[in-house]
Amino acid sequence: MTRDELEQALADLPFRLLRRLGRAIAGPPALRMGKRRLMHTIMAGAEANIERIEAAIRTHQAEQQALAAVPAPAGGASSEHKSGKPADQRALLEGIGVPEPRPFVPDDWQVEAVEALERGDVIVSVPTGSGKTYVAVEATRRAMHEDRTVVYTSPLKALSNTKYTEFCKIFGPEFVGIITGDRRDNPTAPILIMTTEILRNLLYDAAGGEIDVRLDTLGLVIIDESQFLGDPERGVVWEETIIFCPSQARLLLLSASIGNPQELAAWLTSIRPAPCHLVRHQHRSVPLRAGYLHPNGKLTPLFRTVTMPPSPSQAVLHPEAKRLFTMFEEDTLYARRSG
Amino acid sequence: MPPSIHPVHLVTVLRQKSLTPAIVFLTSRRSCDEALQAFEHATDPLSPARQESITAVLDELTATYPSLQDHPLRKMVTACGVAAHHAGHLPSWKIAIEELMRRGCLDAVFATTTLAAGVDFPARTVVLTQSGVRRDQDFTDLTIAEVAQISGRAGRRGKDSVGFAIVTPSPYMDLGVLIRGLTGRPEPVDSQFIIAYPMVLNLLKAHPLDHIQSILAKSFAQYQMNAQAAHLEHRIEKLHAKLESYQPRECSDWLTQWSAYGHATRQTAMKLQARRHHPPEVRARLPYLTPGRVVAFPRFRGIVLRRYRSRGQRHEMMTVLRKGGVVAESPVADIMGVIDRTFDFAPASAFPWATPEALSWLTQQLEDLPKHLSFLTVPPAPDEEEGEVVKSLGDLFPCPTCPCRPTCAKEFKAANTVKQEWLHHTRTVQSLRTGLWHKFQERAEILQDLGYLNPAFKLTADGEWARLIRIDFSLLITELIRAQAFKDVAPPTLAGLMACIAYENDRPGSFPRITAALASLVAATRRMADALAPYDDPPLLRADVGGLAERWVSETTVTWAQLCRSTSMAEGDIYRLLSRTLEYLSQVHSLQATHPDLATVAAEALSRIRRGVLEELP
Ligand SMILES: Nc1ncnc2c1ncn2[C@@H]1O[C@H](COP(=O)(O)OP(=O)(O)O)[C@@H](O)[C@H]1O
Ligand SMILES: [Mg+2]
Repeated sequence: MTRDELEQALADLPFRLLRRLGRAIAGPPALRMGKRRLMHTIMAGAEANIERIEAAIRTHQAEQQALAAVPAPAGGASSEHKSGKPADQRALLEGIGVPEPRPFVPDDWQVEAVEALERGDVIVSVPTGSGKTYVAVEATRRAMHEDRTVVYTSPLKALSNTKYTEFCKIFGPEFVGIITGDRRDNPTAPILIMTTEILRNLLYDAAGGEIDVRLDTLGLVIIDESQFLGDPERGVVWEETIIFCPSQARLLLLSASIGNPQELAAWLTSIRPAPCHLVRHQHRSVPLRAGYLHPNGKLTPLFRTVTMPPSPSQAVLHPEAKRLFTMFEEDTLYARRSG
Repeated sequence: MPPSIHPVHLVTVLRQKSLTPAIVFLTSRRSCDEALQAFEHATDPLSPARQESITAVLDELTATYPSLQDHPLRKMVTACGVAAHHAGHLPSWKIAIEELMRRGCLDAVFATTTLAAGVDFPARTVVLTQSGVRRDQDFTDLTIAEVAQISGRAGRRGKDSVGFAIVTPSPYMDLGVLIRGLTGRPEPVDSQFIIAYPMVLNLLKAHPLDHIQSILAKSFAQYQMNAQAAHLEHRIEKLHAKLESYQPRECSDWLTQWSAYGHATRQTAMKLQARRHHPPEVRARLPYLTPGRVVAFPRFRGIVLRRYRSRGQRHEMMTVLRKGGVVAESPVADIMGVIDRTFDFAPASAFPWATPEALSWLTQQLEDLPKHLSFLTVPPAPDEEEGEVVKSLGDLFPCPTCPCRPTCAKEFKAANTVKQEWLHHTRTVQSLRTGLWHKFQERAEILQDLGYLNPAFKLTADGEWARLIRIDFSLLITELIRAQAFKDVAPPTLAGLMACIAYENDRPGSFPRITAALASLVAATRRMADALAPYDDPPLLRADVGGLAERWVSETTVTWAQLCRSTSMAEGDIYRLLSRTLEYLSQVHSLQATHPDLATVAAEALSRIRRGVLEELP
């Protein structure tokens, strides 16, 4: 095979085979490559791995021939009978729209989190959009009742601003202050909004003897988006804030779903005066469905079932989505080759 | 992106299927802007009622954010009900788009994945068009947590009974990444703890050095490392038990003795290995490459002056005399053949390894050689046997008379593997347990050398104020202050320099010219950063971006629009640059007590930056 022929044959391979090849040639980094970079990597290592590559091409050709030879199984007789007929577009879109208005009732986990704060620190790790703000607001309300200062931190100035507006609406502007890197509005208010960096600096000052703002009466520190602890550049600030957080204050860590919330909770328990309570769930309050939209405008479910598969290993693509996507891949690769 | 779905078509389909409002995630700001531009020629504008509701929201927000008044995208958003949302926009514009979205006024927003965390920006549908994201020049797959953040925006509580994540393909999309992202468990969060100079100063301000270790022990970093260490310790115990099972024999240090022997064996073997490193035909030539030998290279001939191998190198080298008296170094492997001709000459003990007379004589000989000369036929090199190695090590061979020797010989390899693993783990555990503390001590000693800490690791006068600078590159800034670099500095120059230090993006662009004063201050800063390079990573230190901050501070009549026109930088980036500059300046401003003059200049710069758009948000 010439290099051109080889490249052509590679381009015809399905992504999964390309990936396997890439991995054999370039190791695990190949698993993170897109199709173009994979092709490039494989071509770069083609000389030394020619047998492997040809084997993959033969496998693919054999598969294609086998597919062409066996007629598709008719309707219900397929081996996928157990999983039932694949869902269709109607099922995907069924029930779309605005739900009946319902009075606001806090979820169990929200109540649990607020109450657990009476006894110690709390970590909340739930999917985005679940309603962590409710927990923050209720906890703030309770701390205010006990005349304690509340600090709310977020990773971004923009978020601090939004929360500032929101808290002003709920508690009244005279009770809410905001501190940013270069500015302080109402810094003696009982509720203070700031970025995590600013709180860390305040804690440094307090430890150094310069008691600033109202850290002596600090009763609650809310750290929103606390999954930022794992941020390569800024994560250290979250850690410092937690380590230096005065022991009389309760910590409320609000986080999107993360892989190891129990580890974080165990850590907090090991360094803080009271045990840390973990509130976590993976349940989405509004159910999610996944669809596949082909460039020609055709919409199909992405998975066989309309509900989301519980894990990647149980995720089976909808046959139509699979067919369309494969077609798309072939088209774009062909277009690239000829153009 | 030709083969992907056209943005107008996409929004039409979404509208048809009642999948709006939707957030369409794209990889770059540019693709967001282009998607929006595609609507310029779209024919069906929104109904007047919907247009009015958008106008009403924007008007309402304009009271708080005057920059919305004449925003160039206003018309477009109002007419089409679609918008873009990315870091190139001003915060006020992003707030407006978020608010419009919350109120359900828009049908679609084209956003970059940086929208990820925190912002309350939900929709009925999210559209995923890519499986990767650009990070520091490179393109990497979206993590599961990122896909979860994106899909988390689909489905608003109270407004949607179902949320949708719609995948639409684009070239190079890896569907597997998205499937994993949609169905997998998010990655664990791992500690990214690092010990920075301000941390050292501030900790030592509040605590004596001997308390520090227990404070560091409270970090999540240490918690995770302890868990790792505990895991390894378990393994170490097992390895220890395994080692015990090799009974001590006549002596207790048989492993050490045998290791010493093994070590010596390896050393000798390595020497041989180095020779073996060459292919057999090259190896076979080695004995012939004595001083005075004529050799042929692909393009010329030469005479070998000496043969050697540099320390740590595996390749045999030669010093060769070439035509015209040139003396050059060349790997043995480069020669094409050994020519059947040698010259006797007087060698020297240093370069050029021959006496001057010999050298000129050899040069002449080389010239005079006939055109055609035959190569020597070199017999292939024999393979050296391990046996030779052992033979030459005879006197090192352990315990020649010990009755246990056969057993030891048999078990040494296995036992030694266990012991090495044991050693390795023991060392790892040690560094896991004490690494942070050592790093802290290392940093503290540097600060001591630089004069921020006294011999007792207490803050010196310089340390007392330096600990108030808690931004990136704090060491650079405090060292500049100590070196009097800011003596008589003007507010625009100080602002310009802080902008240069704070800005860490290398996106190219055009900017207003910087003044000579700023240029020389940047040069001084660069020299300082280079000098500090062993202690701290230097900033990117782009001089050009400083021009923006300098102009904004020096000419207070310049409007935001004029500033934007003077550069190719997006206004969101200019805003971020200036707001970072504000942050840096206010750290300098915090040094009032010790550096009143500098603090005054910083205060002046701060107040001049804060105007117009920069005044809109706290
Ligand atoms: N118990 C609840 N019942 C109905 N809607 C709720 C409930 N709790 C929160 N919400 C709504 O859910 C939305 C998302 O909440 P938010 O706190 O922003 O989520 P996140 O967890 O991402 O911080 C908000 O609009 C909020 O009003
Ligand atoms: Mg939130």
